[in-house]
Amino acid sequence: MNENLFSSFITPTMMGLPIVIAITMFPSIMFPSPNRLINNRLISIQQWLVQLTSKQMLSIHNQKGQTWALMLMSLILFIGSTNLLGLLPHSFTPTTQLSLNLGMAIPLWAGTVITGFRHKTKASLAHFLPQGTPLPLIPMLVVIETISLFIQPMALAVRLTANITAGHLLIHLIGGATLALMSISTITAMVTFTILILLTILEFAVALIQAYVFTLLVSLYLHDNT
Amino acid sequence: MPQLDTSTWFITILSMIITLFFMFQLKVAKYNFPENPEPKPMPMSKSTTPWEKKWTKIYSPLSLPLQ
Repeated sequence: MNENLFSSFITPTMMGLPIVIAITMFPSIMFPSPNRLINNRLISIQQWLVQLTSKQMLSIHNQKGQTWALMLMSLILFIGSTNLLGLLPHSFTPTTQLSLNLGMAIPLWAGTVITGFRHKTKASLAHFLPQGTPLPLIPMLVVIETISLFIQPMALAVRLTANITAGHLLIHLIGGATLALMSISTITAMVTFTILILLTILEFAVALIQAYVFTLLVSLYLHDNT
Repeated sequence: MPQLDTSTWFITILSMIITLFFMFQLKVAKYNFPENPEPKPMPMSKSTTPWEKKWTKIYSPLSLPLQ
């Protein structure tokens, strides 16, 4: 049962070839690049969505922070499209891999921190000590702030991994339960099927929300540091 | 838990870096968001040639000496 349940999270290889590369690159095919002055409807809709999202997300940043626009937009497109494609049956979702999420979270977070150190050294070091703390509490508070700073990339990665993995596991379990219950009592199977439908709708929302949260937090860390 | 099997971590991270930093950014970089078209304010003045600053009757074509 254990082996069966987690088998969809094994990095896919086909006869020794790592096809995880092809699967990770697949969502980018869904976004054709605009080559003409007036593009077709798909590209126009995607461009409009990107414009909407970037206006909303980059409004809080100053000039320096807005240079990250391309990075943040491609991040939200990558995570959103990967999560949504993972809802198809029997598909492999790269964002369930802790390695991928760590590989995204650590460089992006480190980039924001290093940007802060380079441009506003005093202000970024001042983040370690909130204003108005009484004198005896200072060493302990510096330690706490350091820990909370270093946990940011770990939390980013693990949050995304855990949410998507948990959702996929729930869909597997409830789907299996529905199938098993169909031969026993159809009414219960219908109830379970309704739960499955609701869960799938939730997973659609989670897919998009997780992409948004990841990108929003990166942009927040950026805002602190520019 | 298969996510903790570090033997595949290198290839996964590599494929993510290629996708996120190359493919997606090359596509999104080509998006352009033009401003709404509006008429450009053109200067209305027309520079005058030296002989038109002062009009005198002798410049009227019919009064010029016949060639």
